[in-house]
Amino acid sequence: MKNILYISYFIFLCFVCFFSYLFIDSNLEFLSLFFSGFSSNNRFSTSVIYTGIIIIFFLFYLLFIRFFSKNKLNGKDIKKLIALTCIVLFFSYPAMLSYDIFNYIFTAKVAFFYHENPYIVMPNEFLNDPFLAFTRATNKIALYGPIWIILSGFPHFLGFGNFVLTLFGFKFVALAFYLLFLFILKKISVSDKAVLLFGLNPLVILEILVSAHNDIVMIFLVLFAMYIAKTKKMFYMIIFFALSLLIKYSTIALLPIFIYLFIKIVRNEQLNWSKIYLVSAALMFLVFLLSPIREEMYPWYTIWFLPFVALHYKNKIFNYLSISLCFGLLLGYIPFIYLGTYLEPTPTIKQIVTFVPSALFALFYVIKKKI
Amino acid sequence: MAQKKFRMRNWFWIPLCFLLFLVFTTKVALAKSDYVLPYPSAMPGSIFYKLNLIKEEVLRYWYFGDFGQFKYNLSKSDKYLVEAKTLFEYKQYFLGLNALYKSKGYYNKSYPFLLKAHNKGKDTRNNLILFESASVKHIEILLRMKSEIPEEFTWEPEKSSPTKLYLHKEIEDSIKARQK
Repeated sequence: MKNILYISYFIFLCFVCFFSYLFIDSNLEFLSLFFSGFSSNNRFSTSVIYTGIIIIFFLFYLLFIRFFSKNKLNGKDIKKLIALTCIVLFFSYPAMLSYDIFNYIFTAKVAFFYHENPYIVMPNEFLNDPFLAFTRATNKIALYGPIWIILSGFPHFLGFGNFVLTLFGFKFVALAFYLLFLFILKKISVSDKAVLLFGLNPLVILEILVSAHNDIVMIFLVLFAMYIAKTKKMFYMIIFFALSLLIKYSTIALLPIFIYLFIKIVRNEQLNWSKIYLVSAALMFLVFLLSPIREEMYPWYTIWFLPFVALHYKNKIFNYLSISLCFGLLLGYIPFIYLGTYLEPTPTIKQIVTFVPSALFALFYVIKKKI
Repeated sequence: MAQKKFRMRNWFWIPLCFLLFLVFTTKVALAKSDYVLPYPSAMPGSIFYKLNLIKEEVLRYWYFGDFGQFKYNLSKSDKYLVEAKTLFEYKQYFLGLNALYKSKGYYNKSYPFLLKAHNKGKDTRNNLILFESASVKHIEILLRMKSEIPEEFTWEPEKSSPTKLYLHKEIEDSIKARQK
């Protein structure tokens, strides 16, 4: 039974990896060998396949949770499944759902190749740069913190000027921090359930292992700061929290938590970690909800609060609600895949599609409770 | 109940009237030039002016890179040109002349960074257009300034001998620098 599960999951991951290459941009000359134009020429078929992938991905996820609860899967199995996911999806094409990785690459290029300040000089000022052909939002200065820009220097230099190597270098950074994050999550939660809930969540997998979003770096550093807080090493706690802030700024919402931790540690008082994780989840969820003020509610922003939800793995409602939200957020890509535009009606359909699963789950829960 | 309804209506009309008032009284300002100079910042003598000087020094390092330095020098040139214009309007000719010197100095420093960038293979077309439109705007302001101030001015400081300030000559030099 277990072997069937492993094999079918492996085949499915391989298909996801293959499917990601159907999204290669025609302007991406560095990967022109793999360009098929399928996603832009067959929008309906692509949308249907994508929907199928999301549904199957979540079915696998729910199956893993169920099997784990029934002791049919153990910690070792979870590790194997995570390893399998990492190995296969590391080779996927990252700009399937988001083009952010190209911005990371270009920002690093502005800083380390052109030796310009990416907070002042925009990518579109380098008119003769070949990366401009496929990079989106080039009329923006660097959106991320300085620590991320420094960190992006590693894949930039290790790419030795080769675009494909640099691209996979950035994917490797995301993969490394994903694994480091899971390691710390396991240390903190002392349970494989939290690792399973976060690490095998399809949204986390697609946004981190496929799209290589840097949110995982930010959230790893903040969780590491919390882990250090447990050992009462305040200096390092502050350092890692500051580093996290300087990746993407969103963890500023956790400042009250860290002030609270600081006071409690100074007074040598007991800490209720369960409550700390709960408040952290609430604060990060609030930032997630407020994100449309700045831009829009991107699916990968869920990574800001999902770890804290996973740490509350005993609260089923909490977790299933977040799973339904993740499901909705991933379905939210369909209007763009099908219509190929960010203009209306894409945003309206996206909003509806995103929140319907959570609303249905909430309704189902209320009805079930009443019955 | 009726009173309540009346109040509700009032609440509806107040924001509507306010909105209409805004619509009809707000003037739409259209920029005449593609290149826009900044607003005047703190003037000499103010504590903020000194703080601005410190900020300026710090920003010199923040604006690293050829494009960065080009932008930094051009923005400072703009800033001091506006400062000179404002000071001349208040007949502060000595301080205005100093600002004019600074503006010219920064302007002269900006172009070599574009050349440097060009020599490194960076595409400088956009920044060159920016530089040219800045030059046109600067000349426009300088010519206007020239028509509004005296040719010469004798500055008499309290504790030293008077100095003659050749205002028109300095403006002409500044224009020449922009025309190069």
